[in-house]
Amino acid sequence: MKLELTNIEKSFGEKEVLKGISFFAVSGEAFGLLGRNGAGKTTTIRILMDVFPAEKGNVLIDGAPINYNEIKIGYLPEERGLYPKKKIIDQLVYFAALHGMKSKEAVKAADYWLERLDMTQYRNKRLDTLSKGNQQKIQLITALAHNPEIVILDEPFSGLDPVNAMLLKDVVKEEIAKGKIVLFSSHQMSYIEEFCSNIAIINQGEIVLKGNLHDIKHNYTRDKLILRSDREDEILSDLKDISSRTETGEVLIQLDSPDRKREMMQYLTEKYDIDELKVFEPSLNDIFVEYTGGEEKGGEKE
Amino acid sequence: MNQFGTILKFELLSYLKNKTFLGITIFLVVVIAAVMFFPRVSGIIIGGKDKDSSGQEIVVQDEESPVMAILAKDPVQTKLVYDAFSASFPDYRILLPTDGLSDVKEQIISGEIECAFVMENLTSYTYYVNNLNMYDGNTAIADETLQNLCRIDALSQAGISQETAAEILSLQINHETENLGVDQAQNYFYTYIMIMVLYMAILLYGQMVATNVATEKSSRAMELLITSAKPASMMFGKVIASCLAGIIQLVAVFGSAYLFYNINKSTWGNNPIITSLFDMPLYLLVYMLIFFVLGFFVYAFLYGAIGSTASKVEDINTSVMPLTFLFIAAFFAVIFSMSSGNVDNMVMKVCSYIPFTSPMAMFTRIAMSTVPFYEVAISIVILILSVFGIGIISAKIYRVGVLLYGTTPKFRAIIKAVRKA
Repeated sequence: MKLELTNIEKSFGEKEVLKGISFFAVSGEAFGLLGRNGAGKTTTIRILMDVFPAEKGNVLIDGAPINYNEIKIGYLPEERGLYPKKKIIDQLVYFAALHGMKSKEAVKAADYWLERLDMTQYRNKRLDTLSKGNQQKIQLITALAHNPEIVILDEPFSGLDPVNAMLLKDVVKEEIAKGKIVLFSSHQMSYIEEFCSNIAIINQGEIVLKGNLHDIKHNYTRDKLILRSDREDEILSDLKDISSRTETGEVLIQLDSPDRKREMMQYLTEKYDIDELKVFEPSLNDIFVEYTGGEEKGGEKE
Repeated sequence: MNQFGTILKFELLSYLKNKTFLGITIFLVVVIAAVMFFPRVSGIIIGGKDKDSSGQEIVVQDEESPVMAILAKDPVQTKLVYDAFSASFPDYRILLPTDGLSDVKEQIISGEIECAFVMENLTSYTYYVNNLNMYDGNTAIADETLQNLCRIDALSQAGISQETAAEILSLQINHETENLGVDQAQNYFYTYIMIMVLYMAILLYGQMVATNVATEKSSRAMELLITSAKPASMMFGKVIASCLAGIIQLVAVFGSAYLFYNINKSTWGNNPIITSLFDMPLYLLVYMLIFFVLGFFVYAFLYGAIGSTASKVEDINTSVMPLTFLFIAAFFAVIFSMSSGNVDNMVMKVCSYIPFTSPMAMFTRIAMSTVPFYEVAISIVILILSVFGIGIISAKIYRVGVLLYGTTPKFRAIIKAVRKA
C-alpha cells in the first residue's frame, strides 16, 4: 500500500499554512515528517485524517483517492488528552468502537494492548490517577487498538522514561513489521534516524527536503574525516591547518577534496595509534538545522 | 450512524453513571416521597374538614387554637359582637379580656394573643395584629359580620322580626358554571409546574452540554475525538444523549410522584391542589413531551455550539450568557402572562411561533386556553424545521469551533469560518 499526498494547499484566513505539500510513504516502512513548531505538520496530519479538507491537492491510496470508511488510521496527537475522570477500559473501548470495532472485539483489543504495554493493573482505574508517562501509554493504545493500516505518531517519545521508550520502540518496530505505514513526527532526531527510512522536512508550509535518509546523508560531500585516538593532541598539532575538535570531543579533519580520503586515512593509521576513524556524515540533527534554521532557506535539494 | 450510536451510548452512560446525576434524582424522589407520604405518616387528614350529618362543620377548639380578643365599651355590644364573631371565626378562641388596651397590645407582641378587635361602636373598630399577613382576611370577615349585625338591628327596629331579617340577609343564590373550554384555575398549578420543569431542564441540561464540550476541548480529548468521529455525529450524539438523560430523570421524578400519590390517594382526600395536579389530561402530557424535546434541541444545539468555541471551561459562563438571557426572557414573558390570566395576549401569540419561545408559550396557551389545532400544528412544524436548521448550523460551528484554541473567537470570525467550511 502506498499513501501519497499530492500538492496539498491550505490556508486559514489570510495565512497560507501549506503551500503544496507532496510526499509518499509505503507499507512496512516508517516515514519521518519533520519541521519546526508551526511549520504545518499538524495541519498536514489533520488533512490526511480528513478533519478538514485541503483547498488543493489529494490524499491518495495506491493512486486512488482515500476512502476513510475502508482505511483506518490510528493517531497519537502531540497534545495528549483523554477523559481524565473516566475508567481507562471504558475510554479505550469507546475509541476503538468509534473506529468501527464491535464492543466485544474492542474489549479484547484493549485488553491485549494493556497487557502488551504492561498496564493491565490500571484497567479499571480512572485516567487521572495515572502518571504522565502511563497516561501516554494509554493514549498510545487508542492509536493502535483498532488495528489501523496507517499509524500516525506525533512526538511519541516525549515524556517517556528510558524503559518505556524502549517498550514503545519495540511496539513501533512490531507495527512496521506487520506491514503498516507508520508516520512519525518528532523533534527527537535520534528516534527518527533509528526508525525512518524516508523523511520529509517541512519549513513554513513547504517541503524543503525529502527522500531516503541514507541517500540524503550519503550525498553530502564526503570530504571530512572524524577520528578518536589517545594521541589526539599530537594529531591536532600535526594537522593544525585542517583539523579541529568537535563539540563531542572528536577530531575533525577537513580535506581539500573527497579524493584525498584514502591518502589521509593511510597516513594517519600508519603514523598514529587510532581507535576510530571514519568519513564524517552529518546527523539528521545537523541536516534539520541546516534546512530549517535561518530565515527562508532557498535552494531545494530533492 | 454507527458512530452516532456509539457516541450516544457513551454519553448517556456517562450521565447515568454520574454520581451527581444519580444523587439529585434520588434526592428528588425522596423529597417527593416524603411529601406524598406526609399526611399518612402524620395521621392528619388534610383533605377538608369532617362534616356531621347536618352539614355543620365541627370545629374542635383546643389550647392550640389561635386567640382573638374583643374589647368593647358597652357590655351589650360586647355580648352581641362575641356571639357574631364566634360564629364567623370558628378557628379562633375568642376572649373578652378585662385588661386595658396596652396589656392586650403587649400580649399580641408576645404572641399570647394573635389579634384584637377594639370596638368604637358597631360600625367602627381598630384591628390589632403583630405581623400583618399577606393573606389576612380577618378584617373583611369582621366587616361583613358587623354589617350584618347592623342590618339585622336596623330591620328589627323597622318592625321585622329578627328571624325574618336574618333570613332575608342570608339569602343564597344558587349558580352553576358550565365551562366549555379549560378551567384556568384548575390548570394553573400543573401548567406552572410544567413550565418550571421545562425551564429548569432546558437550562440545566443545555449548560451541561456546553460544559461537556468545553471539557473535552480543554482536556484535549478533542484532538483525538475529532479525528475519530464526524463532528455532526458528536454533536447529535451528545445532544440527544442529554435529552434522553433529561427525560429519564423527569420520568423518574414524575413517575414516582404519581406512584406515591396513588398509594396515598385516600389520605390526600380531596385536597384541591394535589388532585388537580394528578388530574392532568393525557394530551397535555404528550404536548409537554413534544415541546420539551423540541425546545430542548433548539437550545442544546446552540449551547453545544457555544461550548465548542470556548477553550476553557471557565469561559463557558460568559459565552452562554446571551442565550441564557434569551431563554429567561421567554420564561418571564410566559409567567407574567400566566399570572395576568390572559394567556392569549399578543405577546404570547407572537411568542408561540418563535422557536426560542414557542415551547413554553404555546404549551401554556394549550394548557390554559383553547388554541385551534392548526395554530398548534404550525407552531410545532416551525419548531421542527428550526431544530433541523439550528442543528445543521450548530454542527458547522462545532466543527470549526473545536479546533480553535486561545481566546474565544469573535462572532463574525466564526460566521466567516462556518460559511467557508
